[in-house]
Amino acid sequence: MAEVKLINVGKIYEGKNRAVSNVNIEIKDKEFVVLVGPSGCGKSTTLRMIAGLEEISEGEIYIDGKLVNNVPPKDRDIAMVFQNYALYPHMTVFENMAFGLKLRKFSKEEIKERVNYAAKILDIENLLDRRPKQLSGGQRQRVAVGRAIVRKPKVFLFDEPLSNLDAKLRVQMRSELARLHQKLETTVVYVTHDQTEAMTMGSRIVVMKDGLVHQVDAPLNLYNKPVNKFVAGFIGSPAMNFIDGFIIQHEGLIFTSEKEELSFTLEPEHAKKLNQFINKKVTLGIRPEDFFDADENADALNINLEVVEQMGSEVYVYFFIDGVQINARLKPDPKYRHSSKVKLQFNKNKIHFFDASTGNVILQPNL
Amino acid sequence: MKKFLIISLAVIVAVMTFTPFLWMLSASFMKSGAANTYPPKIFPDEFDFSHYKTLFTRLNLTRYLINSTVISLGVTALSLLFNSMAGYAFAKFRFKKKKSFFKFLLSAMIIPGQVTMLPVFLILKNMGLINTYWAIIVPAMASIFGIFLIRQYAFSIPDSLIEAAKMDSATELQIYFRIILPLCKPILVTLGLFTFMGTWNDFLWPLIVMTDMNMYTLPVALANLMSEHVQDTELMMAGSVITILPVLVVFLALQKYYIKGIMMGSVKE
Repeated sequence: MAEVKLINVGKIYEGKNRAVSNVNIEIKDKEFVVLVGPSGCGKSTTLRMIAGLEEISEGEIYIDGKLVNNVPPKDRDIAMVFQNYALYPHMTVFENMAFGLKLRKFSKEEIKERVNYAAKILDIENLLDRRPKQLSGGQRQRVAVGRAIVRKPKVFLFDEPLSNLDAKLRVQMRSELARLHQKLETTVVYVTHDQTEAMTMGSRIVVMKDGLVHQVDAPLNLYNKPVNKFVAGFIGSPAMNFIDGFIIQHEGLIFTSEKEELSFTLEPEHAKKLNQFINKKVTLGIRPEDFFDADENADALNINLEVVEQMGSEVYVYFFIDGVQINARLKPDPKYRHSSKVKLQFNKNKIHFFDASTGNVILQPNL
Repeated sequence: MKKFLIISLAVIVAVMTFTPFLWMLSASFMKSGAANTYPPKIFPDEFDFSHYKTLFTRLNLTRYLINSTVISLGVTALSLLFNSMAGYAFAKFRFKKKKSFFKFLLSAMIIPGQVTMLPVFLILKNMGLINTYWAIIVPAMASIFGIFLIRQYAFSIPDSLIEAAKMDSATELQIYFRIILPLCKPILVTLGLFTFMGTWNDFLWPLIVMTDMNMYTLPVALANLMSEHVQDTELMMAGSVITILPVLVVFLALQKYYIKGIMMGSVKE
């Protein structure tokens, strides 16, 4: 049980390459925090600094109130699950799980008890005598988790633990890990590049890009109120649609896309917030699910569908506005076919606006 | 047809390679002078063990056998330890000037061994190690080739294994002994075999540093035997059998790992 606190943490490789800058995160006891971002965003480096596998170039990391900048990994009381499992190939599953306990000089009975307990939780009791190469990917993953559990650490660190598994197994392990977290009630820091994993598992998510933390928030807040265009585009699948355009004053405020293929009057309450952006370039953000089939009389978009993807329970349609591909997620209907012409509307209460120059949000939906 | 040709060729080569060995073994059991008769005999008329008896009683071969064994085992064990430590460090540790230092080591490989013989001999003489086992063991305790071989192999060990061991609170020495060494087994066996055979068969260096007859290794003693008993072919052959036998046994016993070790470089798992 422990809190993890990162204050202005930064990492510079060989004095010049900056991988992480100014990371400030406070992870509460028993919290499941996910670090997410595209590859090279510094999430793994941040995790490795918490683990003690990378030196901290700047800032401070506290685990359970204790400054750990110069504390070696073994004395931090943490356990880590690696992307490639990192099981010792020359040891059996039992020996793999017992290795850390043996080095810590636990008694044989204690080791046996702990390994058996972890094996029972993870349902790998019948695999204890096997070598890693005799196990499937999912089983190896469980052993790697088991090796972390037996230590009863203050903090669990997971470095993309599911990315080597096939899609089906990944979904299964995802829920198992979430269940395990509830059972063990330990602080977890989890790194992934998969936003679905982040959304489904994390109690809070840290979105990173280019070594910077862009937003730290609960999954739904990230989804509904992203602070910038990057977070808005990264969280959510299919991703949010972006259309560049201008705010123009003409009997109220109007948004017009650059090539004027989309133009609509802003709601009065939105207009107030966008006053200072009149005649400035902004980016409109619409989530695919905020499109819907237009009413007969409504002021609708006339659309030529380019691609239609049938998902069964829903349908993804793709079309172009201003030369930008837009994706809408609609209820299935036979009329959505390749090259068909349809009328669509979008929910104007759920639109986002971003400053086109900085990418920062200037209008969030009221939810 | 093609297969038949290949097999025939293999058989011919095998016979050509094996015949001298077989004849050596056979001649070592012949009565004195029987190996030099015409037409030459392939098998002894009757088995005569007297040459072996002579070797071990009058000619003190036991002493040389012990010398050779102690030196070869000592060199093998120590060089494996130091080469694997250095190779592992070059592969997995981060330290300043690592690459240039390694390149410097590699470039030293082009210096022929003969060039360094005199200086090494003088150093050992100053250290007072001439005519001791250490005169052969110390210069062979680490080899650039060995370090290179282990380094290349250690590259294939994932960093995450070492990191996992660190998280499991292993010290550097524990990581080396309990993770790295077991994982390097195939390459250690291969290198061990090279080293053991090389040391066992080495002639020139033991001849230089061992001036006391009691400290001779088997090949040196055998050469000595040759000059003294140049007429006695059967005795010579018995001596050769004794010299070759241990190497052969070690090689055959470890062949399985050896092949695994040399294959390892080409097929990365």
